[in-house]
Amino acid sequence: MAAIEESGGGHGKGDGKVRAKKMSTRVDMTPMVDLGFLLITFFMLATTMSKPTSMTLAVPDKTDEKDQEKTEPLKASKVLTLFMGANDDVYYLDGIAADDDKAVASMKTTRYGFDLRSVIFASAKRINAANPKDEKGNDPFVVVIKPTPVSTYKNMVDVLDEMAITKSKRYALVETLTDSEKKLLGDKIVAK
Amino acid sequence: MGKVRPKKHAPHTDMTAMTDVAFLLLTFFIMTATFKSNEAEITTPSSISQIKVPDDHIMVISIDKAGKVFFGVDAKPVRAAMLENIGQSKGITFTETEKAKFALQTSFGFPLNQLKPWLNMSKEQMPNVKQPGIPVDSTGASELADWVYAARKADNQLRIALKGDNLSKFPVFKDVLSNLQSQNINKFNLITGSEQAPAGYTND
Repeated sequence: MAAIEESGGGHGKGDGKVRAKKMSTRVDMTPMVDLGFLLITFFMLATTMSKPTSMTLAVPDKTDEKDQEKTEPLKASKVLTLFMGANDDVYYLDGIAADDDKAVASMKTTRYGFDLRSVIFASAKRINAANPKDEKGNDPFVVVIKPTPVSTYKNMVDVLDEMAITKSKRYALVETLTDSEKKLLGDKIVAK
Repeated sequence: MGKVRPKKHAPHTDMTAMTDVAFLLLTFFIMTATFKSNEAEITTPSSISQIKVPDDHIMVISIDKAGKVFFGVDAKPVRAAMLENIGQSKGITFTETEKAKFALQTSFGFPLNQLKPWLNMSKEQMPNVKQPGIPVDSTGASELADWVYAARKADNQLRIALKGDNLSKFPVFKDVLSNLQSQNINKFNLITGSEQAPAGYTND
């Protein structure tokens, strides 16, 4: 809808000459703006802005039996065991085995995020100070991550993320719970 | 004689500037657009990882919040070849139309025996069907491993990405993992959203 507007030239002047009226064309851009914003809305809603990132996860080879014989069992005193419970709770055992008599008393609860980070840092500091480095120069601190049937995928990613943040190089994702661990956790890992 | 009235003009806003901005934004959004796929809604957890998901040669195994498993490959020809491969190994023949229809699906979640009826539906019906998910149960029938095998046979450069919903339970993930491990796949990507690293964190 282009409107042709008269600009008021030639009126009210006393010289009597009739001048050609100056015309200025003006295009009404409202529909164009409408269309533009409609398209913007569409593209904003239809796109995913943040490109997803990915973290790599490498799991040990299950089929290779030879390597498994060589590994020596971890000393419980060097291990922080994290149990991923329901409702975003983390139960942890710091430097103590689940079949220990004192395990029940020493099992604590924490939350994901900052609390868990502090626990990992504190534990790493304590264990690394108490134990010498191994022959390859690695820190003795090991984290064993035990997901339970009630934990979610988010919990797992969160814990793996904490490993990256705290720079815990040595950690293991162990799917199976031992009998003593099951007994220790009790109904905390039973799906409701 | 009649009075000379001043001409009435409707107030007129100059929209040129607005149009400029609108189209600038429009251009931006068109250029950056990567379309959301119409598959199941999955909200991924976030991590501080900075590695971008590769654009091509990727297969995505998605787990939705109900624990259903979906499978998708990025390239169309690979999808068609994958369907052919799995048809061969399972003794199912797919027609050309079925293959063509299958190649259009970015991801799917059907047990093998329900795949054919689904592909025979009309285009309008297909999105309305509730997909039951690919069986992954390690104790019962598990077809995910077969699909992964078929896909890797179709394109041997495929990398595997896992995309899980925040709320999906760990046992499903474990089943998917055992499906992959049964094929000696021990390294894969977990797709996450990005998140700001906490203060004091240095990447080294």
